[in-house]
Amino acid sequence: MAFYADKDYTVDQTVLEAAQKVMAGQLGLHWYEAKTERIAGRASDPRRGLTYQDLDVGTYGYTNIPEDVRTSQSMVSRGSEKVGKLPDMGYVVNRKSDVWSDNVAELYEEDKARRWVPAIDIPWNELHAHPVAPELEMACAQLYTFLQECQLVAMDFPSKWVALINQDFLEQKSWMCAQMLDASRLFEVFRKRALYGGAGLGRASRTAEQGLKEWLWADQFPQGSVSINLSLAGFLLVLYRQVAAFAPTKVDRAIMRYAMQDGARQTAYGLGQLRYYLKHRPLEASAMEAYLDHTEHALLGLIGSPELLEPMIIICGGGLEKAQVDNGRIATAKFIRLAVREYMERIAAAGLAGHSKRSKIPAMVDRISAPA
Amino acid sequence: MAISFPSTEYFEALKAQMASNEEKFRRLGFIDTTFGVSVGLNGRARNFVLEFEVFDLKKVSEVPAIDLKKVDFQIQGDAQVWREMIENIRRNGEADSAHDINTLAHFGERLKIVYDDPDGHDKLYRFMESIQEFFDLSSKLEVSF
Amino acid sequence: MAYLSTTNFAEDKDFIDKWLYTIRTGEMDLGWMKSATEKISPEEANPRRGLTYRDLNLGTYGFTDIPEKVRANRSYAPRGAEIPEGVPDAQPWVSRKSELWAFNTESYYEEAVSRQWNATTDIPWDRLEGVELPEVTGKALSQLMTFLTEVEMIATDTPAMWLPRLNPDFIEVRSFIAAQAMDEARHAEVFRKRALTTGWGLMQASPINEMALKHLRDADSFSEMSVALHLVAEGNVLTMFRFSEYLSPTDVDKKIFRLVMQDEARHVGYGMQHFKYVLEHFPEKREVLHAHLDEAENISFAGAAATELTESFIILAGGGLKKENIEQGIRVTTQFNLKQMQEHFERLDKCGMPERKERSKLFQMYEMGRAAAENAGIKL
Repeated sequence: MAFYADKDYTVDQTVLEAAQKVMAGQLGLHWYEAKTERIAGRASDPRRGLTYQDLDVGTYGYTNIPEDVRTSQSMVSRGSEKVGKLPDMGYVVNRKSDVWSDNVAELYEEDKARRWVPAIDIPWNELHAHPVAPELEMACAQLYTFLQECQLVAMDFPSKWVALINQDFLEQKSWMCAQMLDASRLFEVFRKRALYGGAGLGRASRTAEQGLKEWLWADQFPQGSVSINLSLAGFLLVLYRQVAAFAPTKVDRAIMRYAMQDGARQTAYGLGQLRYYLKHRPLEASAMEAYLDHTEHALLGLIGSPELLEPMIIICGGGLEKAQVDNGRIATAKFIRLAVREYMERIAAAGLAGHSKRSKIPAMVDRISAPA
Repeated sequence: MAISFPSTEYFEALKAQMASNEEKFRRLGFIDTTFGVSVGLNGRARNFVLEFEVFDLKKVSEVPAIDLKKVDFQIQGDAQVWREMIENIRRNGEADSAHDINTLAHFGERLKIVYDDPDGHDKLYRFMESIQEFFDLSSKLEVSF
Repeated sequence: MAYLSTTNFAEDKDFIDKWLYTIRTGEMDLGWMKSATEKISPEEANPRRGLTYRDLNLGTYGFTDIPEKVRANRSYAPRGAEIPEGVPDAQPWVSRKSELWAFNTESYYEEAVSRQWNATTDIPWDRLEGVELPEVTGKALSQLMTFLTEVEMIATDTPAMWLPRLNPDFIEVRSFIAAQAMDEARHAEVFRKRALTTGWGLMQASPINEMALKHLRDADSFSEMSVALHLVAEGNVLTMFRFSEYLSPTDVDKKIFRLVMQDEARHVGYGMQHFKYVLEHFPEKREVLHAHLDEAENISFAGAAATELTESFIILAGGGLKKENIEQGIRVTTQFNLKQMQEHFERLDKCGMPERKERSKLFQMYEMGRAAAENAGIKL
């Protein structure tokens, strides 16, 4: 895999002479009249600062990136003048519709503005000041173990693709970097919560991990994105909202309120990307339907995982007494129906309007007796 | 002097409080959403549109009906539920677990979130901290119902 | 190329029936409650710092006790969790601690998370209103910014490529890389934004430096990648940021360079600590790393021909294109170049590779350059 330069420059006289010439004061200034667009970008709203949206102008802007990026395979900055022999970085994603979403610059700017710090923004000492009953704490630890697994996969998806995506899609790649940090921060807060309560970690989930790996290892970016950024992220968004609503402690509520912000941004990208993809590549709709038909079952692997389902019932009900478990299972049933309903809504809104009719998931979820 | 809920004066008062607490909202980050608040009473509703931009509430308006295509989402609920939430905020300084927007709206049983586009719906959650802190500013107001 | 789960959950009747039964009746297995995992009682060592990964460095959950070879976990199970039968293989390429570990990694990560600044709002862009730099300065600044925005994302792409290849047990390293990716995206952003506010826009790409980026990207192992990226390249860039701050034509530029150098120093810190760790714990790697450094240095020599960068530096350092400006610019640029090389070898020395000097053609060039500079009255 290692790259070697085209020659041994330590003995290359041309290079040495070029450097010596400049350091002797003979500047060539070949760059001085660069053939690039002149621009003096300014913030349109000083309160917001200078955003990528402000610089969406001319050859520098992202709006004008063509669908097929054929003329750049290096890391040359979009809009700068290409000169000389440039290496090929090996990008395999060079079509805008494969990765783009109209909200990507907005989401990147929002992500930066809405950052938080798990170490100090969560009132950790509340857990020791107001501990919960042991079985409830164990349920929390198990839930947070499950959520760590999800975030390991959420971290892997953007990282495995970012270097394969053409550098011209700078704003989208930057968004992926923000996603990586979001995922690591969520993993961090989930791990800290699981361990600080004293119950230790729980058990990893075979069914969840098998499904997550199938989603993560999708062949193509759009497919992987719909699975990780829409299916998984959307599911987790509802889960965060559920746990926030039934939070056993202030710590859990605080965690989930931050998590839902990060999760909602990810879902917004997932929906936006699928929408953009289907709008610009309508012929791909049937292939995407087929992909969803084939891989949606992984959502059941998450939903039906006892490592998620059972702690959720205990948390929502508040304990293991019969009445608590009854309340908990009813609330959990509602959660499942809500998660599936919102998933289908997003898929339809993205452009696959009839999907809920062909998907097996709604019928399965209808078999739960408790209504949402 | 007590401010009546629901009314534009109530939301304007929250707007003023938000401006006074700019540092807190700045720290939370950009909030860019327009949403509707619908308060039902005796079969009718009073409807308000709140436009947030950057770190502020930019504009409040009362409208006869909320056009879902012109807002990201709408929070609908009976006056009784809104009152309960605001009274809880005033008692505790902030909404407790059972009375925050997320909990009340989660299953759509007390407050309901309606929307035209799921992307708009997701903005409720993208800006949840800011939106909740906004309503929590009710703790600084005298409110009558 | 896609992976298929070992079960199609939509067709696994037993699985579906079981969870539907659980929901309908509330009867639960609760096997996870008997997980054979350790119970710990962490405390915040410093409540003002909050709850850190270091506070959780206890028992099987901690990073100190990660063995040299991680044999027990190849799945997505978080370190310390009970791992049931049937979890998938995450296919990690790196399960050996000395291949990626660095003392203090967890602290670098916590620091990164707490010190995230925002290129949109933390730079006083409004202070550029009405600022008109002379053409020669504006163009030189734009060229420098063009170079910097071009190269920054290699430090996103390259470590990010490795992140999913690292065994998930090394979560602190993975997290550090995720934070670095965001740092570098921010750097690419701030330099691009600055170039596009000068009135000149972006200038010319740097083909020689693109070759360096390719070399950084295509390393055979994580350690080789890290030594070339974190230690060599980012070490050089850190020196450049310090000089650039000194040369900045406006206070806005000074602020930019002060902020980026904080992040860069963290990355170099990790690079140095990892280099030390791998040399101490995986001594067989020493010759491999020497060979990788040989090629990195080859490309450094090529970098001497990246005159678009050198010339813009000279102009900024000297303040213009008149003879006396250029002479002053060359003096400062010479100091910068020598400083870069001096600090490079100091780092290698400190981290346990003092013998590098004997083998390195770059060191020979440094010594010659230093002697010539001293003869010309230029002191380091």
